[in-house]
This record gives sequence, structure tokens and C-alpha cells, in this order.
Amino acid sequence: MYGTGLLKGLSITIRHFFEKKITQQYPEERPVLPKRFRGSFNLTPEKCTACGLCVKACPNDIISIDTFRDENNKRKLSKYRMNMASCLYCGFCVEACPQGALYTTQEFENTVYFRQDLDRVLYEYEPTAQENREEGSEA
Amino acid sequence: MDIFLVWVDIFRNWLTAGIGVPALAAEIFIKIILVLIVIVFVCCNLIVLVWLERKFSAFYAMRRGPNRLGPAGFFQFPVDIVKMLAKEDIIPKAADLPVFKTASICAFITAILAWAVIPLGKGLVLEDLNIGIFYFIAIGSTGTIAFIMAGFGSNNKYSLLGGMRTAAQMISYEIPMAFSLLGVVMLTGSLNLSDINDAQRNVWFVFPQILAFLCYFISSIAETNRAPLDLSEGEQELVAGYFLEYSGIRYSLFMVAEYAHLVAVSAIASIMFLGGWNPLFGLTFIPGFVWMMLKIYFMIFLFMWMRWTFPRVRIENLMHFGWKVLIPVSLLNIFLTSIGLYVFQAITG
Amino acid sequence: MTLKQELVRTQEMEINFGPHHPSTHGVFRAVFTLDGEYITKCVNHLGYLHRGIEKLAESRTYTQFIPYNGRLDYVSGMLNESAYVQAVEELMGIADQIPERAQYIRVIMCELQRIASHLVFWASMALDMGGFTPWTYGFRERDTVLDLFEMAAGNRMMPNYMRIGGVAADLNEEFMPALRKFLDIMPKALEEYHGILTGNEIFQARTIGVAPLSAETALDYGISGPIARASGIDYDMRRDEPYGIYDRFKFNVPVRKNGDTFDRYMVRLDEMAESVKILEQAYRDIPEGPVMAKVPKVIKPPAGEVFYRIEHSKGHFGFHIVSDGSNKPYRLRIYSPCFTNVAIFEEMAKGLHLQDAVVAFASLDIILGEIDR
Repeated sequence: MYGTGLLKGLSITIRHFFEKKITQQYPEERPVLPKRFRGSFNLTPEKCTACGLCVKACPNDIISIDTFRDENNKRKLSKYRMNMASCLYCGFCVEACPQGALYTTQEFENTVYFRQDLDRVLYEYEPTAQENREEGSEA
Repeated sequence: MDIFLVWVDIFRNWLTAGIGVPALAAEIFIKIILVLIVIVFVCCNLIVLVWLERKFSAFYAMRRGPNRLGPAGFFQFPVDIVKMLAKEDIIPKAADLPVFKTASICAFITAILAWAVIPLGKGLVLEDLNIGIFYFIAIGSTGTIAFIMAGFGSNNKYSLLGGMRTAAQMISYEIPMAFSLLGVVMLTGSLNLSDINDAQRNVWFVFPQILAFLCYFISSIAETNRAPLDLSEGEQELVAGYFLEYSGIRYSLFMVAEYAHLVAVSAIASIMFLGGWNPLFGLTFIPGFVWMMLKIYFMIFLFMWMRWTFPRVRIENLMHFGWKVLIPVSLLNIFLTSIGLYVFQAITG
Repeated sequence: MTLKQELVRTQEMEINFGPHHPSTHGVFRAVFTLDGEYITKCVNHLGYLHRGIEKLAESRTYTQFIPYNGRLDYVSGMLNESAYVQAVEELMGIADQIPERAQYIRVIMCELQRIASHLVFWASMALDMGGFTPWTYGFRERDTVLDLFEMAAGNRMMPNYMRIGGVAADLNEEFMPALRKFLDIMPKALEEYHGILTGNEIFQARTIGVAPLSAETALDYGISGPIARASGIDYDMRRDEPYGIYDRFKFNVPVRKNGDTFDRYMVRLDEMAESVKILEQAYRDIPEGPVMAKVPKVIKPPAGEVFYRIEHSKGHFGFHIVSDGSNKPYRLRIYSPCFTNVAIFEEMAKGLHLQDAVVAFASLDIILGEIDR
């Protein structure tokens, strides 16, 4: 009969009217994000060997690292920068890291007020005079 | 005697006897105050309605709706009004200025004018005209002109199409709306809204006039330009229809008009079909005004339920439905009512 | 000239439909010539979302291009990625070495993505008719799918999950129970969709017989996917030219005859039900094992070229990759189904009412990210 479809639609909407709401009250109710979620990136500087594989893996060349040679002539990290403005959040850098130094976090609120804040420095270390024998930087 | 009327009487006595104002001047003064009260009442309704609309639309969609400002987000709309007032009034360069500017005021005035005859309780009416329904229908049709003015004056193609659609739609749906109200008028033999209300003491007219009620309900959705019959606004094709170019306070006047019209048609529906301020189940200790408001909001709930369930109707179907279904059905209702009345008179003699 | 012609002059009106318009699904623009409210002429204008992704591919290595696939058709990232990685695998000649489990995971992800993409279609089709409430109903289930992607791949819309030779990581343990839950709710949700929209008389009046597309015209324009199947072209690459492991699954290909808006809508809803069937089978049969084939770290396909296409949610989606033997593609061309499908709109819109044109446009289900690339 003409009109049954209309009534069915009405019955569906009224059922949902009294149902539990599905939306999340975001600032109060924090989302539970899975472990693999790529919200933002973080670095464990002790593990990093400054090999530069993450720099090579990045499709957009947003990672730049500065290195120096310490007293044992070992390459060490002095600065790790990520330009989040052009980050794809693909996670290739994390996949490429052989030491597991770079990892993703569930921190997803990446808004900043100024554009220069997007140029995120994950690690910075000022080498002392005798350490600073050789300086290299990889973009 | 209603408490409001007692206050008015006390005030009038104080004016004439207390300070010695001439009777005519006192009467005019009181009328002005009452008109202002009605406008404020309509605007208060608007606040509740916008809140309800937002909440209901959210509930049907399993969302929560506004809930930041005040209890359950109730103060969201008052704050929105402040925002609207503070907005820049953008007028397109190519607009037909006088038409563009008056259109929003026209829409507001026609929506408010209808409230002159709508009683909200015994004696709670600005002017208890003996041709109340006639006046309501007449004022309702003048509202069309504001929408055409807005559509034409904006000098925007989308607005023009929206205005044209509104004109076609509202004029077509005036007719079944008037015809469906005629059945009730035949039963009571009066055009006065208070008389019609009093005639429903025993049985609501929705039962003998079910066809008329359905016709009225559908055509009043079209009259108030609400989804699923909101062809004039149709944001998916016309962006916003006739008020596309309006901003700030001019835009909000259109919104006030829309909701004032919605409350007005709901009030007429409850007076004509749902027994007005006659109490349900003999619960006379609840004042008639409260009953009236309950019935109005029940009607509004139905309107909102429709709005948030159905997709928009196609324009040909809308016109065909108006002219080929609603008008014949409402005429049939008049025919059936007259036969019924004739039979009834023949039996009772 | 008669008096009437002198006094009443009629004029055709040109109206811009987009790029800023509520129902153009992005930044599509069409210029309508209106006679009253009927369209006499329609011209498509594309390119507002052009990002040069094909050119970008030439400066990225084969692996580095994978995340860009999510930016093509941004509601079906998994499908784009799987098309790309399978094309590269074909080029490298390792298509037969992909582990079983990875194949199954790909099918699961693709079918989930197909459901998600069709849900966006369903919800936005309802929205384009002024039905605001169904929008959330569609997105409720889509969110469940996206939660599954988030769980397995780490991102919702730009998953970057497929890899050349397999998938990025094995499914985590909570994935399978969540998938089971989704498979249980989906048939009920489909019933609800049919209840609120398909059975609705207003909806039927707006779609049945609107903007019909004949099978011949569809073939002439190179239309593929659900739109072609709605016009009666019984062709689904998953069944007729099976790629991956699709030949192992039993499913029907929904085909309809009239090719009107209603049929295009119904084909997609039926396809969702079929996708659920495929998912059920994949859920039952998925084996344990590795998820990545042995591929070199630096991918250098031999010089040559390949054209590889899959059945995307919108139609045939293909990659034409030319390799010069280096680690970057010499040329990469994307065969986009939306691009071919939107071309029909110029023809389809002629004679339609403005209101119906919006619905007909919605039934084409285009995503501008893929058209403009």
C-alpha cells in the first residue's frame, strides 16, 4: 500500500530517537586509540645511531638530522627535526628504523598556532668543544 | 476567568481610575502592551523551538545536539542571536535595494500578524474576530509576497528560482488548507476561533474530520516551507533558496518568520482539530493555556518528526499531490460533512 | 512578433553548479544552461583539486608512492593501494609469490573498504535529497570499518597498509573479533537502510526512471563499475577477470536493467551485501602464515611496462606503470573510474530538472580527489 514505506521510515527514526547516542563527547571523553595509530612521532635518542635510514625512507623529505663525531669517532645525533607541515603520516620512517628508536604515539592533537611550530624538533643536543670534531648534516 | 485577564483588568482600572487617563487612551495603551507581549511570546517560542529542532534532529540521528552552553545547550540559541546581531549586514551590490531590504521585514510582519486572532486560552486573544479563520488564511497568503520579494530583490539566480518555487508551492497549498478548515467551520457554523474551540467540549474535531486533519497537516508543512516540502530552500540544489543573500539580522528575521508561522499553524491545528484549550480526560485543574501549549508542541513534534525522516519531495510530485490529491480530498471532505450534517439534522429534527 | 512575444521575453539562464555548492561532493563544477528549471546544456569543469600526483610518483621510489594512493580516492584508500601494489608486483613478476595470508588480508581490507565507500555513497545520496538523518546511520557503520582499519593499519582514511609483496603488518589479535562483530551488525544495518530510504515512496518517486542510462551509451563512454552494472552490463572484474584470490570466493554480481538512478543506488546496496558474503568466507578461510613475501629492500622492477586494474568501488581502477629499471617509475598513469564516469553527466543532465540533476549526480558517486589527481 502507498505510504507503508513512509511509516516504516518514521518507525525507524523514532526508535533511534530514544536510543543511546553514538557520538563521543570529545574533549571530556578521550578516544581509545589502537597501538598502531600514527598520531605523531617520537624519538628515543639513546637508541638512535644517526644512520639516516628514516631520512631516506621519507617520501616528502621532511626529516633532517644533524650529526657529530664523539671522542670515540662514533657518529652521534645532535638534532632531529621533522617538518610536520608536509608529513603524510605514512609511518615509513618508523618502519625503516633498524633500532626501533623512532616510534609513533597516540597523541593526535597536532594543531599549532604558528606555522614555524610545525617544524618540530624531536631531539636537540649541543655537542661540547672536543666532541664537535666533525660535523655532518643530512637533509 | 483567566489570571492574565484579571491582571489586564486591574491594570485598566488603575489607569482610568487611579491616574485618570481617558478610557480610549487607556485602551490603546493596553493594546500596544498586549501586542508587544504577543511578539515577545512568539520570540520566546522561537528560542524553545530552535533548541528543540536542534535537539530533535540530533536525537533522530543518534547525536547529542548542542550541550555546551547552559542546561542541555539551551542557551546556544540566545548566544547565536547575539552573534547574528553582531554580524555584518552584507548587501549584494547588484541587489534591488528597497525590495531586498523590505523583504525580510515583510516576512516577519506577516508571520506576526497572524497572531492577532489566535487565542491561547479563554479570552487570551488580541482581537476575537468573528471571521478569525478567514483572517488567518488571508494573512497566510500574503506571506508569499515576502518570499518573492526576497528572491527577486537579491538578484541571484538561486534566490530567484527559490522565490519562484515558493510562490508556486504556497499558492497551490493555500487552497487545500482553506478547504480542509471549511469542514470544521461547517460543523460549528462559526468562523470565530473561540466558538470553534468551545464546540469541541465533547468530541474533538479530529475524529469526525480526520480527512480534513490530514489535508491540513500536509498542506501546512508546505505552507511553512519545512522539509520534506521545503522546495524553496532546497539547499542541495538552490544552496539556500530565497534567503541565500541575506546575512546577520535580516537572515534571522526570516528564521523568526518561519518559526512564528510554524507555531501559528500548530496553534490553528490544535484549536480546529485537537480541542484547543479543552482539557483531556477532564483534568480541569490544569489551566487551559497549558493544555493549548501542550497540543501546539505535540503538533510541532509531528512536524519535526516528518522533517527529520523524509527526503525532499520532487517538485512535480509536490504540485500534482497538491492539485490532484489534496484539493479533491478536501472537497470530498466538505461533501461528506454536508451529507453528515443533513442526515444529523434530519434525525434530530 | 506577436504581442505576447513582445511583452514576455524568455531567456535561458546560465547557472554555476559548484565549485562552491553543497552537493557537488568536493570541488566539481558544472555550468548548467537552464530553461526554467530544466537543464538544456551542461558543461563539466574539472581540475580544481589537481595536485599532480602522477608527476609526484616520478620523483618517489616505488615504495614511497604507496601513501599517495590514499589521497586519490580518499574514501577507498585500501582499494587504491591494493591496485598499486599489485601492479608493481605484476611488473616485478612476483605476483605468484605473495603469501596466502597476505592475499586474504588484502581481500578483507578491500571488501571492507568497498562497503565503507558505498556507505559514503548511500549517506551522501540521502543527504543530496534533503534526508539529513540517514547520513549518520550510514556513517555509523562506516566508522566501524574505519576503526578496523585504524586497528590494523594505523590510520583511518589514508591507511598505507599494503606493501609490495604483502601487507605492512599482520592483523593484531583484536582485529578478528571486531570483524566478526561488524559482520554481525552489517546485515541488520542494511535492512535499516532499505527501511529508511529504499522503501520510502518519496525516495522512489525521486529516483525511479530518473536519468536513465542505456547499456550502449554506458559502453560508449567507457563507464565501468556499479553504474555500468545498473545499466545491464554484467561485468565484474572480480568474477570475470579474477585477480588476487578472488576466484576462490562465491558471490553474485548484482546487475539491473533500467540504468536509472534507483538502479544505480540498488546495485551498490546489493554489492554491500555481497561484500559481506565475501568477508564471511574470508573470515572462515583465512590461514596462518607470513604476510610478506621475500622482496628486496630497494625495489627495482625490470625495464618494461604494465597495466593492471582492479574492480574498485567506483569502477575499473588501473595503473599504467612504465619502468626504466631504476628505483623510481619512469611514468605512472592512473586510470580513474570517476573520471570516465563523470563524463556521462554532461549527457545525462540534459533535459533533467535541476532537482533531479543533483540526485543523478549523487548516483554517479564521484570523488574529486581521483578525477583531478
